Amino acid sequence: MEDLSWSEARDLFRTWRETNARKSNEVLYHWHLSLNINLNKLGNEKFLIVEQVCIAAFDCYQLDVANECIKLLSSEFPQSLRVKKYKAMRYEAQEDYVKALEILDSIIKADKSNSAPKKRKIAILKAQGRYVEAIRELTDYLKTFMADAEAWQELSELYIGEQDFAKAAFCVEELILHNPHNHLLHQRYADIKYTQGGFDNMELARSYYCQALKLNPTNIRALYGLYLTCTSIATSQKASAQKKKDAIKMSEWALTKLKGSYKEKGFETDLESRMSAMAIN
Amino acid sequence: MSISVMTDLVVDPNIRGWVFLPIIVITFLVGIFRHYVSILLSSQKKVEIQQLQDSQIILRSRILRENAKYIPRSSFNMRRQFFNNQETGYLTQKREHTAPTMMTDPNMMTDMLKGNITNVIPMFIIGGWINWMFSGFITTKVPFPLTLRFKPMLQRGIELSHLDASWVSSASWYFLNVFGLRSIYALVLGENNAADQSKQMQDQMSGAAMAMPPDPKVAFKAEWEALEIVDHQWILQDIDNSLVDQ
Repeated sequence: MEDLSWSEARDLFRTWRETNARKSNEVLYHWHLSLNINLNKLGNEKFLIVEQVCIAAFDCYQLDVANECIKLLSSEFPQSLRVKKYKAMRYEAQEDYVKALEILDSIIKADKSNSAPKKRKIAILKAQGRYVEAIRELTDYLKTFMADAEAWQELSELYIGEQDFAKAAFCVEELILHNPHNHLLHQRYADIKYTQGGFDNMELARSYYCQALKLNPTNIRALYGLYLTCTSIATSQKASAQKKKDAIKMSEWALTKLKGSYKEKGFETDLESRMSAMAIN
Repeated sequence: MSISVMTDLVVDPNIRGWVFLPIIVITFLVGIFRHYVSILLSSQKKVEIQQLQDSQIILRSRILRENAKYIPRSSFNMRRQFFNNQETGYLTQKREHTAPTMMTDPNMMTDMLKGNITNVIPMFIIGGWINWMFSGFITTKVPFPLTLRFKPMLQRGIELSHLDASWVSSASWYFLNVFGLRSIYALVLGENNAADQSKQMQDQMSGAAMAMPPDPKVAFKAEWEALEIVDHQWILQDIDNSLVDQ
């Protein structure tokens, strides 16, 4: 990490805030180095940066920094529910969930339409390892806030953890609807369908791996997935002769692409034998 | 009276000091004052959870319509059932008419009152006071010739038929300031300030300020119809061939 002046650090923090980058270590580094001394020069952004540092401090368990930030925020905005949420998060970071929940419940009581404390409650359940309850709470949350893509993503991951793939697939479909041009979502959907298995799901998985590759031709995981689904279709008993032929052609295409990209990086590997070790039947 | 006499019209410098500049300062300060008063009076709008859910469902249904081609047909039909099912669909449900009426909802009344206090009253009082205090002065001249049609706009309060149309009267100068200070307010108070009176005036003219919270039934009906006629075409049908052919 290089040392930046306070104004450069401020600009860097702004880009991180805008891109949702969670570079907690870096944030704290620059905070200690330059920003906390120049806090009053930051103008309008002062409290946004304090918030950012506060969350970074939770991530890195520097509770003294977090306390300092919360003190700054609550002296400026004494009634704010948003600041109250950070107080709850401090207890969360200390794993004092009872106190955290108390604060979160009081926020929800004050403002029923506030989504942030509800999400934090679900995060607490997840941190405690109570995944089934977290899923129940999250579905409940999504009944009201059903356009919240972040929540759908979290739910899909929870379902994958519980190996409920059909429901996870539903959540990823929802994500694809929200953002149809993200190749990772298509790839994730295909992964789920491949894991579910069965001839129809294999075909679906193949289509979605293709879509992921179309959006991003360098997606190696999708290439592997495409190869595996195609070989699986080619060896399936349900497939017609034409489909088998197509699948073989496609798997060869994927394999040459894969080999090509390895060669570019300077690796020579025996891909076929490795692939056959990976395939599921 | 000839044109040459008009161009030689000399305005007393006292008018600059006691009419022209004071009007600018007064309108500007009133705008700043309005901004802070409206911050003081503004009440945080509480969003009902039901309203929130309604807006989110419409958003989701709209996204479904737009991007349906990216998910398989069965998945699309499943979602459409959820929205449009005859008995249990969200968009077809029967609901009590809950739109709050003007007179029964006290919140609505106070909001209207506050709107009046910050918009209409200063408008009348300051406008009237300026008209009374500074009436009948010629304050400035626009540096280009204008046709006679501009006279009622620029020379409010001065009924001289022979006066050149590019002279501006004090009352008109006040109105020019009310409408023209918008960018100055944006500079001083930042974007989205409440000081700008001209915007509120436009709202009142078009009736937008009186807009009622939209009835969800109407929006649901429209959304239901739009979703019902969507013809699902899965675009990934032929993707494997197109990819290999590339």
